[in-house]
Amino acid sequence: MSVVRHILPAVILAIACLGGWEAYVALTGTSPLVLPAPSDVLNGLRVERTAIARHAAATIGVASVGFGLSVLFAIAVSVALHFAGWLRRGMMPLLVASQTVPIVALAPLMVLWFGFGLLPKVLLVILVTFFPMVVSLMAGYATLPRAFRDQLVSMGAGRWQVFRRATLPSARGHFFAGLRISATYAIVATIFAEYAGARRGLGIYILTAKNNFRADLVLSAVVVSALLTLALLALIQLVDRLTGRRYRRATHA
Amino acid sequence: MLEVTGLTIRAGGTALVEDLSLDLATERLTCLIGPSGCGKSSVIKWLSGVLALELQAQGDARLDETTLSLPHPAIAYQPQQDTLFPWLTILENAALGLEIRGAPRNVARDKVRPLFSTFGLQGHEDSFPDQLSGGMRQRAAFLRTMVQDARVLLLDEPFSALDAVTRLKMQDWLTARLADDPRAVLLVTHDLFEATQIADRILVMGRNPGRIVADIPVTTPRIDRTEASLADTRSMLKSLLLEDTE
Repeated sequence: MSVVRHILPAVILAIACLGGWEAYVALTGTSPLVLPAPSDVLNGLRVERTAIARHAAATIGVASVGFGLSVLFAIAVSVALHFAGWLRRGMMPLLVASQTVPIVALAPLMVLWFGFGLLPKVLLVILVTFFPMVVSLMAGYATLPRAFRDQLVSMGAGRWQVFRRATLPSARGHFFAGLRISATYAIVATIFAEYAGARRGLGIYILTAKNNFRADLVLSAVVVSALLTLALLALIQLVDRLTGRRYRRATHA
Repeated sequence: MLEVTGLTIRAGGTALVEDLSLDLATERLTCLIGPSGCGKSSVIKWLSGVLALELQAQGDARLDETTLSLPHPAIAYQPQQDTLFPWLTILENAALGLEIRGAPRNVARDKVRPLFSTFGLQGHEDSFPDQLSGGMRQRAAFLRTMVQDARVLLLDEPFSALDAVTRLKMQDWLTARLADDPRAVLLVTHDLFEATQIADRILVMGRNPGRIVADIPVTTPRIDRTEASLADTRSMLKSLLLEDTE
């Protein structure tokens, strides 16, 4: 029942928007070259399903590798920054600066430097997605109650033991929050990397469809991209639920 | 016997505690009482090796004439909050100290498990802290502290978060527990009723800077401690505490 209560408003709102969009196109007679109706987009999806599926599979592959490596990279960087104060002070401004570089400028440069293979796309996904996770993890590490640290230190725990037994579990909620934010960027970043130069993927499919004035197919690919992001978020939610029951308990210290 | 000599704790140029010395006899419960801000928690944190980084301390702690490097396995510390980790079961929490001292996980848990009934926690091995009452949580914290087999227990206001009835029950429970398994205990409290009820000896701290201003033995057997029999001691403590806060 709670699932229905949570999902129902979104479903009703989406249906209302799509219905309004369909009615607007039908009533104004707008050309499908400019604004295809949702039914046109659905039809495009049906007709082009094999091609879109092939390109989506390529996008999933790049996003999985990129996002997976990004998670590992973010954890490694956050641990290094946590243990080395001088590194934290030195690197945080650089990390923040890295987020100010527009992806529009970076994506073509990545292709120029690393070619059309997997590497430039993976690097771009890492660059876009790792920062929210690092920031969330660092914030999570800082939430460890002082009393927990004192308790462990009085028992003879060293810095690593304190980190492993208390700091890391305390940061779990923040980590998943950062993971969800990053996940929303992962597919979009992959598509953008493909858009800048690729042989296969939703990005290059969108570019080709746009060049052929097929707005319906552009939107079809956008729908698939949104579904992929939702699937990734659902997967993260599932992992969180399956592994995190004990970590959702109240902290009293 | 644990001896602390010449302990001075400073925050920048200000002395919070100055040239404090105390000793803790084996198998005796000593209460450290004093007004807020006199440094009693700082003393116990220093002995536990967890003094805040912004404070500077100087002094010696010796156990049977051997100088200790703090934190030390012979000293177990229980902070003000029960600090049970919410993501660990009570069994996992209770075995934590042993595991950190190097005991393999199974060995630590096998050592802790039989003690659950003694600590009134039987059947709660797999419960999480938020499923327990305040008193049970406190007993679980005591289990974690006492199972470490430290000769000295440092308890920082262990009953302060409990309601009045649970606090009275826990005071009785603790003294009974210590009668079965005696240790040298230093218990910090700001409650003179609590101190007179459970202590074998009361050290009174003054402030600005923190120092021991009185050392009062409580010789009345616990079973005979009543309002009347403790009236003089309480009156003396009250005068000392009020005098220092004026």
